[in-house]
Amino acid sequence: MSGTGVTSGIGKLVLRRLLFAVPVLLVVSFGLFVLAKASPFNPVERYFGVRIIGADPERVAQIRENWGVDKPVVEQYTAWLGHAVTGDFGDSLSLQQPVAQVIGDRLGWSMLLLAVSFGLALLLGLALGTLAAWRQGGWLDRAITSGSYVLEAAPVFWLGLGALFIFAQQLQWLPGGGLTDADQALDLGQLVRHLVLPAAVLAISQAPWFALFVRQNLLESLTQDYVTGARARGLPDRTVVLRHALRTSLLPFITLLGARLPELISGALLVETVFSWPGIAKATVDAALNVDFALLGGLTLLATAAVLLGNLIADVLYALADPRVGFDG
Amino acid sequence: MVDTTWRRVARSRIAVAAAPGSPRVRLLSSAVILGVIVLAVIVVPAVVNLNQQFVDLAAANRPPSLAHPFGTDELGRDVLLRCIYGLRVSLMVGIVAAVVSTVLGTLVGVLAGAAGGWVDRLLMRAVDTVASVPHLLLGVVIVAVLGPSLTSVVISISLTHWLSSARIVRSEILSLRGRPFVDAAIAGGSSRLRVMGRHLLPNVAPQVLLATTLMIPHAVWHETALSFLGLGMPPHMASIGNMINDAQRSLLTGGWWMSLAPGLMLVVATLAISGLSGVWRDRLNPRRRSELSW
Amino acid sequence: MRTVVGLVLLAALAVAGCSVPQQGPAGPPSIVIGAGQEPDNLNPILGYAPDGAAKVFDGLVDRDAGLRLTPRLAERLPEATADGLTWTAKLRQGVKFSDGTPLSAQDVVFTYKSVLDPKVNSTIASRYDALAEVSAPDDSTVVFRLKYPYAPFGQFLTLGIVPRKAFDGQDINSAPFNTAPIGTGPYTVDQWRKGDRMVLKANEGHWDKAPAIKTVTFVYVTDDNARATRMASGEFDATVLPPRLAGTYTGKAGYKLVRNPSADYRGLGIPSALPFTSDPRVRVAINTGINRQAMIDTVLAGAGKPAATPISPYLTEWYDPAAKFDFDAGKAGALLDEAGWRLGSDGKRAKDGRPARLPILYPAEDSLRKDLALAVGSDLAKLGIDAPVEATTFELMLQRQKETAAVWGGGDPYDPDSAAYTLLHSRYSGQPGYVNMTLYNNSQVDAALDTARRNLDPGVRKQAYRDFQQAYMADPAWAFLVFLDHTYVMRDKWNGIEEQVEPHDHGTVHAVWWNIEHWSPK
Repeated sequence: MSGTGVTSGIGKLVLRRLLFAVPVLLVVSFGLFVLAKASPFNPVERYFGVRIIGADPERVAQIRENWGVDKPVVEQYTAWLGHAVTGDFGDSLSLQQPVAQVIGDRLGWSMLLLAVSFGLALLLGLALGTLAAWRQGGWLDRAITSGSYVLEAAPVFWLGLGALFIFAQQLQWLPGGGLTDADQALDLGQLVRHLVLPAAVLAISQAPWFALFVRQNLLESLTQDYVTGARARGLPDRTVVLRHALRTSLLPFITLLGARLPELISGALLVETVFSWPGIAKATVDAALNVDFALLGGLTLLATAAVLLGNLIADVLYALADPRVGFDG
Repeated sequence: MVDTTWRRVARSRIAVAAAPGSPRVRLLSSAVILGVIVLAVIVVPAVVNLNQQFVDLAAANRPPSLAHPFGTDELGRDVLLRCIYGLRVSLMVGIVAAVVSTVLGTLVGVLAGAAGGWVDRLLMRAVDTVASVPHLLLGVVIVAVLGPSLTSVVISISLTHWLSSARIVRSEILSLRGRPFVDAAIAGGSSRLRVMGRHLLPNVAPQVLLATTLMIPHAVWHETALSFLGLGMPPHMASIGNMINDAQRSLLTGGWWMSLAPGLMLVVATLAISGLSGVWRDRLNPRRRSELSW
Repeated sequence: MRTVVGLVLLAALAVAGCSVPQQGPAGPPSIVIGAGQEPDNLNPILGYAPDGAAKVFDGLVDRDAGLRLTPRLAERLPEATADGLTWTAKLRQGVKFSDGTPLSAQDVVFTYKSVLDPKVNSTIASRYDALAEVSAPDDSTVVFRLKYPYAPFGQFLTLGIVPRKAFDGQDINSAPFNTAPIGTGPYTVDQWRKGDRMVLKANEGHWDKAPAIKTVTFVYVTDDNARATRMASGEFDATVLPPRLAGTYTGKAGYKLVRNPSADYRGLGIPSALPFTSDPRVRVAINTGINRQAMIDTVLAGAGKPAATPISPYLTEWYDPAAKFDFDAGKAGALLDEAGWRLGSDGKRAKDGRPARLPILYPAEDSLRKDLALAVGSDLAKLGIDAPVEATTFELMLQRQKETAAVWGGGDPYDPDSAAYTLLHSRYSGQPGYVNMTLYNNSQVDAALDTARRNLDPGVRKQAYRDFQQAYMADPAWAFLVFLDHTYVMRDKWNGIEEQVEPHDHGTVHAVWWNIEHWSPK
């Protein structure tokens, strides 16, 4: 296939996916609005907090009216959508700040954690998976596969608490949370020290899936005809494994990276909570506890967009890596 | 050394085992562990008849001992007993949610596979849409709307976990529709509906059942995660997620046993369930690549 | 792939880099405080710090360590006319807002008028129910006219005063002022990142004197465990922790453990309308059958005082030492027998075939109330009462107020009127909202509360509150459980710390750092 063919193919793929993304985002956001309206919770009572005890009922009703929370759903949704298109996602009730600002302040830290853990999990998974396949049936393989199964069965927040207890509390090697120590300006050293535990825990909880997948595909591709053929031509084993087997087994791996993104985001939500990482997770849980639908809506839309984007990137990579693949997306 | 290992693998062309140990060993060990757990969660509550909310403030924060093998918690409740109760709740929620989500997924899958055309396209787009939202986040939103309770947790899990069964059922039906015996049956004068009922569903059923069991650990995980965030089961109820959430505080005051036990129990139970369903899956689909999510 | 990861990483760092809080090197005295609750806004009109200690603002009056009112922006304590209907305050001369504009009586009028304005979403308007009109006859005099004589009114003059100029042409509900305020207080807001931290700088031009601690940083961490971890890692100079976590610092060199008393109660509201609990004897039995001390010892690690009425024992002026329920399960059982609820063979009580049942609700997100609900439920179960515990929300607790008990909380130590009146006066029974949640109706209690509210004579008021406590003890609407002690861990490097009885709220405003402007480094 010629170079321009690939490019136009990818262009079409991107276009098609973007067209799909629009209705998805619309449906998801409208769904959230309907949910918010169906909710039995009264946002005005959240606003009062403890002062609701003893507050004059007439005043409470007055504020409800001031806010216009009793208008019809469609009217509220279209108003919200009109603003959302311009990047104004409304104000968060629990933080009394624009949603865009709430997310903007935290997104960077969440992305940093996600990216580092994802990279780490990938490397770990690749290395361990290849090792296990190489020693198939041996004790190393058994150790890696059983370890992977155990880690997959363990909830990530439990692992996080364990790490917190051992490394931060008992051994006091690493800080137990936050971004910086007291009175310390944020610099690379501080950041790295505080990033180690959360990133490692998230990576370790994600790596087993990758490791098992790599091992499986590698073993399967070793039985493929072209690998046996390469062997028959007398190529050295290392070349066969790294050049041929690993490469073909990595292709499905790449597509699944995108599919793995929701899992990673779910994991990050929990890890951020355990390590009080100043990312989006805390805002999400607070938003849920305070029935702050403006913020929840913004966060859900963001996560949805991230997953759609992740899938798209994975597909494009897949297509680039293996030109035989069509672009039916 | 290196060479021989690779060569042996290449030559043997054996089916790849997803987990270490022979299927027989795996089957046996998983079945025994699961048996013990199921027995425990059924028998213990019946024998001990513990009032779930009963607290004994005089016996709070005791480390593991003979009387309390896993110690007691902040309110003086025995951690082992609570773990068993908690596992019972978590497994029940897991099973109910897995069944509900599979029924939901099967309905969507059958409808999509049987109807085809725009119905199929629409439903599959719906599947893709739901798949685009990280399911824990969607679960959090659903619980936020409904308020934390057992029902809302089940609903939250069901509404986020029906996708895979929908996809499986649809593809099974599509592949079966192309088979000669279906054509023959239709040619023989059977109505579409009859063919569906008589021929397709029995063929699809084992896959659906398998999907359900594979879903259970997922559902349990979802429940514990929601409870841990304080958005799941009622907080006073014994459930694995609630226990780990409560134990966080004690971890800082030295009460490590309160979080160790529930986590371990969950790991063992999950491994047993996925071990068992893994063996079953390998039997059912010997040539199919293992589902690796659990 | 690697390049993609690298790019994402770079982008993330770039994004993250934009929002790094700026922190200077150690210089003049500063303090970092880990707080549990963050204010929603910093506008006194909307409800920020209505009880003083507002840091950024001054009220007409404030309180000293003994909770006595002291003049602040008022030259001396405002006084009422003999009929109690008119209160007059003279302003202190030469006070300036932090932006340089001088304080005038018009600012005070604007502040109080805005609170009463129905278009303004103020959460404290109900406090000023008695206020009919506020005016300024001249630039340094403010006159409050009341609808009815209201003795505690002076207590509500602690509200911080805002400059009216800052709101010219602004909607008060969404004015930029709400997060970047201007006040006359000892501190000014340097930076506030919602959900993360607030940095206060000393107001060098303060009319009283500039604080010795020049920078106060509040870091907001809601989760108790996270706060404990970060205190342990040395990130904070002071923080608030639940008693058990704070207890880990006992005797630790260089640290100071502070336990402040409070009027912050947790209590079980018992529905008066439910057939089982409509009999006062049953409610007295419940109060007597609850082991409050065991709850305090275990759940609160000793940090609390048993409660019987909404009046805290620390309020020595008002509290009646006889108002307490001693734990006596035997007596409780006898009272239940007397009321006709007798033990069956299954260990459960019933009357005329109707079981003694009292569900206990608590808000799901509050783990302290969960523990208290479980402890109460356990005690009631021992008496033979079927008391299932249920997690729910405040909204549902209110909706089911007629048939279930619920664990509520609140309270402030200033005047018994604010803690007791809306909670127990029959005028509020059956009204919507969080007033008289137990539908309580006792004419003696009503009369005592009314007398205490409308009379200005301290002696008469004191007697009225004694009468109230006596009437209430014979017919309790609640089972008040505990007044919490608030516990703090701090580095031992400050002078000037003074104990003050604290209200329910102890985030940025009250709490051990209520008078931080008077602290100095050791």
